[in-house]
Amino acid sequence: MNEAFQIMLWPLVACLVLPGILIYLGLHIIRREIIFVDLALAQVAALGTCVSILLHHEAHDWQTFAWSGVFTLVGAAIFTLTRPRERRVPQEALIGIVYVVAAAGALLLLSRSPEGNEELRKTLVGDVLLVRPAEIAIVAGIFALVGLVHVVFRRPFLALSFEHGRAAGRNVWGWDFLFYALFGVVVTVIVHLFGVLLTFSFLIIPAVCAHLLVRRLAAQLAVSWAVAALASGAGMVASFQLDLPTGAAVVCALGLALLLVGLGRGLRRRGRSVAPTPPADGP
Amino acid sequence: MMNTICKLVAGCLFLAGAAGTAARVNVVATTADFGAIAGAVGGQFVSVTVLAKPAEDPHFVDAKPSYILKLNRADLLIEGGAELELGWLPPLLDGARNPKLAAGQPGHMAVAEGLALLEVPADLDRSKGDLHAQGNPHFMTDPENARHAARRIAAGLAAVDPAHQAAYAANLAAWLKQLDAHAAVWRQRLAPFAGARVVAYHDAWPYFARRFGLKMDVFLEPKPGIPPSPAHLAEVIATIKREHLKAIIIEPYQNRRTAETVAAATGARLVDFAQYPGGLKGTDGDYLALFDRLVNNLAAALAAP
Repeated sequence: MNEAFQIMLWPLVACLVLPGILIYLGLHIIRREIIFVDLALAQVAALGTCVSILLHHEAHDWQTFAWSGVFTLVGAAIFTLTRPRERRVPQEALIGIVYVVAAAGALLLLSRSPEGNEELRKTLVGDVLLVRPAEIAIVAGIFALVGLVHVVFRRPFLALSFEHGRAAGRNVWGWDFLFYALFGVVVTVIVHLFGVLLTFSFLIIPAVCAHLLVRRLAAQLAVSWAVAALASGAGMVASFQLDLPTGAAVVCALGLALLLVGLGRGLRRRGRSVAPTPPADGP
Repeated sequence: MMNTICKLVAGCLFLAGAAGTAARVNVVATTADFGAIAGAVGGQFVSVTVLAKPAEDPHFVDAKPSYILKLNRADLLIEGGAELELGWLPPLLDGARNPKLAAGQPGHMAVAEGLALLEVPADLDRSKGDLHAQGNPHFMTDPENARHAARRIAAGLAAVDPAHQAAYAANLAAWLKQLDAHAAVWRQRLAPFAGARVVAYHDAWPYFARRFGLKMDVFLEPKPGIPPSPAHLAEVIATIKREHLKAIIIEPYQNRRTAETVAAATGARLVDFAQYPGGLKGTDGDYLALFDRLVNNLAAALAAP
């Protein structure tokens, strides 16, 4: 048991502390119906990394961070400009297009780079089992700053996501751009530690569970955090006991949590509709 | 009464603990080739675990919690070195917190040390595409380097377990004798094809090519990890046809369909290769059996009309 604790301690800490901001952003993302925007932004940031590698910078040079940062901002600008004003084309379509074009663009760029794909694979996709305490501290610091911005400017951000921008005032574009830029930073940073699957799951699944169960934002936050924490714990235990890849185990635990929430909700509804027997056919 | 039970239990636990720990040296090898040799040299005095699966790309190993546990309990860690395990081993070692495996300790050895590696970049210029700053780490594809590896592994075992030094030396001598016998056969089988050009999916076999006098300089991948482009494949197909090349080497984790397409277009044969014992069926834990298969497969393809 002691050994289990030693090995799973930092992955568990990472899964309890870092997804906090992901969960909150997930509530926004679901309301905005832009589920795959995280994958698209991460891919656009990766395109920036490719450009940097092509210019012969190392994957961990500051220039590489700068390039992927610039590309993240470009991605944020794209999604700001495509905010649907009239519903001719759903924004999800554009998000998907940005994702595949960025991914294919990365392949094209890398085919001109001597290192090819391997360098990129090594740097972009993390594994939650291998997180180091220092990495958790740095990422937690970045997330705290992003969280602070979201707390200070919560009114325009919430208005944009939850009231379709009606209350945001005139500066919709500016707030939208800031939202996507911060979101891009969060996703790019966390994918380095968690990998793509786990990042996406933490972003979406707890928020979906919360939307199924409760209405008020504060309650949704509480439910999401509880779901994420419980599923992380269960995933860690399963990963250790059955010796499974840790990230994938937590993803499946989150999926299972959603299944249980869905079943529970279905049973509750049935209970409600059965209890007061409809008198329609009765004598 | 209670007291005696406690004593009995404690005694049993002590015995079990002593039997479990004192008997064998816990060896962890990163790849199956080192594991196979450690098993042959260590014999009954070691218990060997291998981290990377034989058919897994050793640059990208998926970490599991048990890997950290195994490293935590290891007495000797054998890694290839030369950046082969760079992407995944250091964080696992961080997690394992095993002082015996710290860098510089006798419990942590890199087989590549003391070997002259191929493809060592003259200067560290990224623009020339140096994936491996210390040279190509797939050195075990040359049986002569396996000789070096076996010697180093025997020395490593003797360092962490001096009591059985004589046994390790005897096992080493026996294994090297077997290696010599097999290597003579391998050379003989491939001798008729000296200078033959062989196509490979990925540039992983320069040591093998050098040892057996083959030329492996046509690759299906234009660059490591980059999917073949149509123009590049057309060029490869033209080369194969022009020179009547007969064999395309393919490993378990590479894209077989590309190789099959090229084979179908040219009449060259696909030759199943693997770098690690167990990567081909029936070669589990046996470096010599693996190379028997590699040499036979390749010789059969090259001898085809």
